[in-house]
Amino acid sequence: MSADLTAARPSRRLSASPGHTRRFPRRRSLSRRGKLLFALPAGVFLLIFSFFPLAQLGRMSVSDVSARTLNSPWEFVGADNFVGSATQGSLVPAFGNTVVFVLIVTVIGLIGGLAAAILLSTSTWLSAFVLGLMVFIWALPPVVNGSVWKFLLGDAGLINSIITGIGLSPTAVPFLYDERFALLSVAIVNSWAVVPFNALVFRAAILGIPGETFEAARIDGANRWQEIWHMIVPAVRPTTLVLAVLTIVYAFRSFDFIFVMTYGGPGVATNTLPFLSYLQAFVRFDFGMGAATAVISVLLVLVLAVIYARSVRSEEAHS
Amino acid sequence: MSIVIPRADATASAPSSPQPRRKKRFEPVAGPLRVVLLLIYAVPILFIVLTSLKQPGDVISSQSSFLFTPTLDAYTNVLSTSGLFVAMQQSLVIAAGTTALTLLVAIPAGYGLARVDSRITTIGLGLLIVLQMVPQTANVIPLYQIFGAWGLLDQNAGVIIADTALLIPFATLLLRPFFRAVPEALEEAASIDGASIPRTFWSIMLPIARNGVATTGTLVFLLSWGEFLYAVNFFLSPGNYPLSALLAQQVSAFGINWPGLMALGVITSIPILILFTFTYRLLREGLTLGAVK
Amino acid sequence: MALKFSRSRRTRSLPLIGGAIAVSAALALTGCTPSSSGGAGDNGDSDTITVWHYFSDENQVKVMTDYKDLFEKNNDGVTVDNVFVPYDQLNSKLISAVGSKTGPDVVVFNGADASTLALGGALAPITDQWDGFDDKSEFPESVVHSLEGDVYAAQGYVNLLGLWYNKDILDEAGVQPPTTMDELNSALDAVTAAGKGGITLSGLPQSQGEWQAYPWLSSFGFNYDDPQAAPLEEAFAAIQDWTASGALTRESVTWDQTVPFQTWAAGNVAFAENGNWQIGTARSDAKFNYGVVPLPVGEDGQVYLGGEGQGIGAFSKNPELAWKYLEETYFSAEGQAIALKDVGSIPSRGDAASAPEVTDDPILKAFAQSLADNGANYPAPAVPAEAVADQQLAVGQVWSAVIGGQMTPKDAAAKLIADLEPLLAK
Repeated sequence: MSADLTAARPSRRLSASPGHTRRFPRRRSLSRRGKLLFALPAGVFLLIFSFFPLAQLGRMSVSDVSARTLNSPWEFVGADNFVGSATQGSLVPAFGNTVVFVLIVTVIGLIGGLAAAILLSTSTWLSAFVLGLMVFIWALPPVVNGSVWKFLLGDAGLINSIITGIGLSPTAVPFLYDERFALLSVAIVNSWAVVPFNALVFRAAILGIPGETFEAARIDGANRWQEIWHMIVPAVRPTTLVLAVLTIVYAFRSFDFIFVMTYGGPGVATNTLPFLSYLQAFVRFDFGMGAATAVISVLLVLVLAVIYARSVRSEEAHS
Repeated sequence: MSIVIPRADATASAPSSPQPRRKKRFEPVAGPLRVVLLLIYAVPILFIVLTSLKQPGDVISSQSSFLFTPTLDAYTNVLSTSGLFVAMQQSLVIAAGTTALTLLVAIPAGYGLARVDSRITTIGLGLLIVLQMVPQTANVIPLYQIFGAWGLLDQNAGVIIADTALLIPFATLLLRPFFRAVPEALEEAASIDGASIPRTFWSIMLPIARNGVATTGTLVFLLSWGEFLYAVNFFLSPGNYPLSALLAQQVSAFGINWPGLMALGVITSIPILILFTFTYRLLREGLTLGAVK
Repeated sequence: MALKFSRSRRTRSLPLIGGAIAVSAALALTGCTPSSSGGAGDNGDSDTITVWHYFSDENQVKVMTDYKDLFEKNNDGVTVDNVFVPYDQLNSKLISAVGSKTGPDVVVFNGADASTLALGGALAPITDQWDGFDDKSEFPESVVHSLEGDVYAAQGYVNLLGLWYNKDILDEAGVQPPTTMDELNSALDAVTAAGKGGITLSGLPQSQGEWQAYPWLSSFGFNYDDPQAAPLEEAFAAIQDWTASGALTRESVTWDQTVPFQTWAAGNVAFAENGNWQIGTARSDAKFNYGVVPLPVGEDGQVYLGGEGQGIGAFSKNPELAWKYLEETYFSAEGQAIALKDVGSIPSRGDAASAPEVTDDPILKAFAQSLADNGANYPAPAVPAEAVADQQLAVGQVWSAVIGGQMTPKDAAAKLIADLEPLLAK
């Protein structure tokens, strides 16, 4: 059914890659472009249920929308919401906090996830058990996980009991209520919660590597470290790219743990962009300003999206 | 975080072993690291379970000690909550429906985007990431309007559609590299043999990419099982709330029932563990199936 | 936008094929939704009223059930449906329901949010019903929520903060329950010297923090009518004295109002600034002798009168029956006695508040006295309706920063005055 559409335009990729067979050029270009039809249902579904809300968000960000005006026509105010959000002074520190938060969650989430996946890609009962625990954690809602860590990191909590018990510090460490530690603590707990996800996906990718690749390497005398560095890491590269993007995006929009553990405090020390957006839209009921802050985050991620999409294409063009 | 330190005993593995990769190697490093990993995840879980066995009054006073009189009150209370089983059934229906619908839409999309290189692919990928970024709270009000107009409020279908829309970008992005990893030569061979594209997709791509499909399916199920915001907003009757909303009921402005929250957390996660045990086996088998030539 | 829906075009058939496929797949997979009782949208039943609330505590749920039984007993054939909505979701759910012109018949909500909900169109004005209400003179003005000349809600009871004390600890340290700030400070010194915690309160950077901060701030002379930096600085300095001496832990910046009370009830802290709604928790969890005195905030001090507001949903199909429900439960002497018995909330009606159940109970008596001496409207009338949420957040954040030790009293006071100025001028 896609013949008319595709036959007229020979695939660009085909002509660009001489390494590929040219035996059936017509048929191949037909099938290649035709495969885009596979994405059609998703496209239609998202058009209705995701792009409409996204468009509304965009419209809201340039309108004056409060509880009073939400359900009446919105008045266009241009960039007022963006300016308002910026001039209230909370936007810039929130941006800084977001960068720190995203960095920590992404780095620990990815490295920890890959490490856990490699460690647990054996089929021992211990691996299965640990993986089961990690899935259990990932399945628990943030209100449970966050509360647990709030207890564990509290003055009378287990971690401080151990720290003071073995004499590492004479007094309890102010993990969650000192501005120097609070953001770090929440970010690390958030990474802890995201590692199971990355580990599961990495593990699936590692298990997909053909066994003979390893055997060949082993005959060549590669040690485990070389095996990881020269085989596993390159083989999971596409997965790593996707996970990096998903983790960054997750970190960029995550506010559940902040909500449960610090509520942005002490003061505004753990306010990040998504939390700020939540405060603006659902605590102060300034939907317009909340949408503006959310749009800023989306635009930041848009840059990331472009980088990802381009790097994926250039990388795959060589493969 | 150090991964594995190169060891001199690298050659200890016997090349004759059929699957040396799965055998015990480097236990001096990997073994202890595994135990560390175990502790990092087991301690909070232990804390959850211990808290669920406490009296509400003991939660604060015995935070870091094991000295308390255990009680099953929290579990008895939670299990006798009227509507617990309806809620569990609701969770199951929503999560299963969302998983099925999401996979139905995202698998072809992931495949399509993995096999076609054009500007459209680039744009598509970029858009998926942007959609992934939109805060869920921003979707509630517009979707409420759509569902209100289409009579989907207070219906499972409404929540399933909302959850699916939320998870399609995630699932598609995740599935794409798994399809990408299938050698194109396999498909070309099939098409030369005269197999149609859908047939190739069904009988070659899907079986080989099943690790990815199973993992993505598990993750989608987990996410929709725990989804809470849409459920609370789109169900108008409390009788329809799934477990995740019941969990929120333990936390109120007037008090938090810690043992109840933790007990419900444990109960909520048990079906997830059962599902995991199932897919864990799938993944192990996927290893040998993945070596199809 | 192409997707613009009106209620008249409400249809079950989906115009787009993709949507149809998706929905039918979903329906086929899932079967139908089990129960639709209590649905606010579809329920055309004229004898049913739906009540949205956020109570999950056992005793508070019992109040709702008792009211349901009471109203159903007095009115044959009428059904009351109590619908729980999580606290954090209630406001946004009400406001998004306005968009599709649905919603409950009766809303029980945090009284401080009355103006937000009224502005959002979620509440129906009840001015006529209220003016025609025989007993309205029993209600103090501070529990009636009006906006722009219309009444939108009233409160069947009030909640307020008092100073809970651990009598065992005070006896050991040889101090009496304080009645002034000086006495409180010396009591705190005495108990911390004895190795006990001084006081617990909430320093959360949001409305709960502001609610807990205001009695202390106002005791030094601060108010929203004429906000001055000097009394704020004094108050913040006093609080930082507490954190410096260890009487108040800086950890309280992560505490909502629940945890500090549970911490106090664990028995190692002398005082807790907390509310009358904790009576049940104290009874079950506190294994020591305890009592309550009014917060020792002096003549200037103000203690907010909080609690839930009750109003009628803007899209109620049966506003008459909804009003009747409010009249016979929340606003009646009989109903208020039920809430008093179940959870110890202070009745808002003058006649119910002077009943022996209140005046003979030593704990309720302390709260009632505080209400009479220091009770203040919540939110403060000087704050414009649109700015209430901003003002609470701004004060909460500075309060948290002071307790957390991030700001000096001087800087904190200056910042707060600067933050408040544009808000109060709105």
